[in-house]
Amino acid sequence: MRCELACSYVQTGAFQPAQSVIRVSPFEGHTSYAPFTCTQCAEGWCLTACPVEAIAISPVGAKIVQNDQCVGCKLCTIACPYGTMFYNPETQKALKCNLCGGAPACVVACPTSAIEYVEAETADWLGAFAADRSPRHLERQAAMAEAR
Amino acid sequence: MAKRHVIVGGGTSGANAILTIREHDRGESEITLVSAERPYSRMVLPYYLGRSIAESHVFTLTPPRLAQLRVKTHLGRRAAKLDTGGNRLTLDDGTALDYDDLLIATGSSPVRAPVPGADLPGVHSFWTLEQARGVVSQIREGAHVVMVGAGFIAFTILNAVLGLQARLTVVEIAPQILPRMLDRLGADLVERWLARHGVTIRTGATLAGIEEEAGKKRLRFRDGEEVVADVVIMATGIRTNLEWLQDSGVRVNRGVLVDDHLRSSVPNVFAAGDVAESRDLVTGLPALHAIEPTAMEHGRVAGANMAGENITYRGSLLMNIVEVCHLDIATFGAWDDPTANAFAALQPERWAYRKLLWRENRLTGALILGKADDIWTTNDVGMLKGLVQSGADLGKWKEHLRRNPFDVKPAFIASGTTARLLPQTILGRPSVPA
Repeated sequence: MRCELACSYVQTGAFQPAQSVIRVSPFEGHTSYAPFTCTQCAEGWCLTACPVEAIAISPVGAKIVQNDQCVGCKLCTIACPYGTMFYNPETQKALKCNLCGGAPACVVACPTSAIEYVEAETADWLGAFAADRSPRHLERQAAMAEAR
Repeated sequence: MAKRHVIVGGGTSGANAILTIREHDRGESEITLVSAERPYSRMVLPYYLGRSIAESHVFTLTPPRLAQLRVKTHLGRRAAKLDTGGNRLTLDDGTALDYDDLLIATGSSPVRAPVPGADLPGVHSFWTLEQARGVVSQIREGAHVVMVGAGFIAFTILNAVLGLQARLTVVEIAPQILPRMLDRLGADLVERWLARHGVTIRTGATLAGIEEEAGKKRLRFRDGEEVVADVVIMATGIRTNLEWLQDSGVRVNRGVLVDDHLRSSVPNVFAAGDVAESRDLVTGLPALHAIEPTAMEHGRVAGANMAGENITYRGSLLMNIVEVCHLDIATFGAWDDPTANAFAALQPERWAYRKLLWRENRLTGALILGKADDIWTTNDVGMLKGLVQSGADLGKWKEHLRRNPFDVKPAFIASGTTARLLPQTILGRPSVPA
């Protein structure tokens, strides 16, 4: 979970994983993990939803929140269907992955090189991985529920 | 000759239509905007009321921006008559505008409770910028503000009123608060939360009348109770602005009926936003949403089609979010469908509640309530939207969510919902900032 610590520190100035914009999910009863963050999707649901045009596209292609424009209405947090648009209660502004201006802190912090920053097709990199690691766990859970 | 577009209404859908037309044609066509008000964003008025932004922050298409976009304007004017046979719009000052195509984007207006005294000075609506100005000048520290109506609009300004150190009472005719956004269990939790934050709530209260009393307002209720207020804000519903379409030949039900290209029954007349009755993404039926995200999507799709593109609209997803005293309340899709298979989970000590609604293994609606800084809330709000929007078959994850309704993320990721969502764009191409 070092990516979450690094991310929250760079994004908010504090080591608080709850404010990280990359979030790690455990799979198969915590035997494998998947970090999940903004895909910088083509639609840009956050960008089009913003009523005051507070979201721009940065030179490295990230959708970024311009804090002086954002009013904190949270519309982007419900427009984003990936759950990667957050809100910082301290600043009362929307908060999302800005790719750290082209040098993502999560990549540097990851001790197992599980996160790479490369030019690639936007794709669902985690879906198949997570699906593969879920069925046994789901079956075990179902069996446990039945036993109770 | 350049194509002549007329846009009637400068709110979210009208502005998005203009920007989309210009994105397509770079200024070739002629665009004329008719708007009763200077274009601004209604969504951000509560932040102006709470004084966290200046009034100037609310404006969207400012005069220099309109000039840059080469838009002719008739601001402060209203549409009076639409002659669809002659392709001519007449304004309230008699000006006639000929068009090749026209967008109806006249939005909606607030409705006040039909009681004596509802139109007294000092009884406010909070809908237009002008009305917001009226409220801003009245709320002072220690003033008693009574909000009539406990719906979405009332709740969007609740934080601002409290932030101005006013005392707040909310009265609602229905037996619960937010009747179109919460079920009874959720409403009970929010009512307890608000009581804890010093808000007085009176549900099941039918207003009988308002009287002036030495600079204050006395509100009388049908059950004999009375409340004295310094400021009264009425948030008792809205109605669509359709009167000017009488005899136009444009087919109207509750709103202007539009097809999947946002065209009305008259092929060169489009409609968008609060006035447009269009396809609901979940039910597939015509619906009048009157929400900001729908207005934005309508405006973009209508604008693209007016510019000559051929964009089919899949439909709008009903969604709302409101935060009161750092408690988030959000709903998606058919969250109150009584015929759906539903399961709910309440965690009162964590102020968390959610309800998931299903058609077989697909999520068709969701309600989520929780503290704004709680990881359960921040993790799941958007993902629930994605699950409803994508209509993904969740298979065995449905049972997982029945057992663990606060563990949405693994279901979202492992069901491949991201892959289903990534190709989706409203206009069939990547969005660009305006």
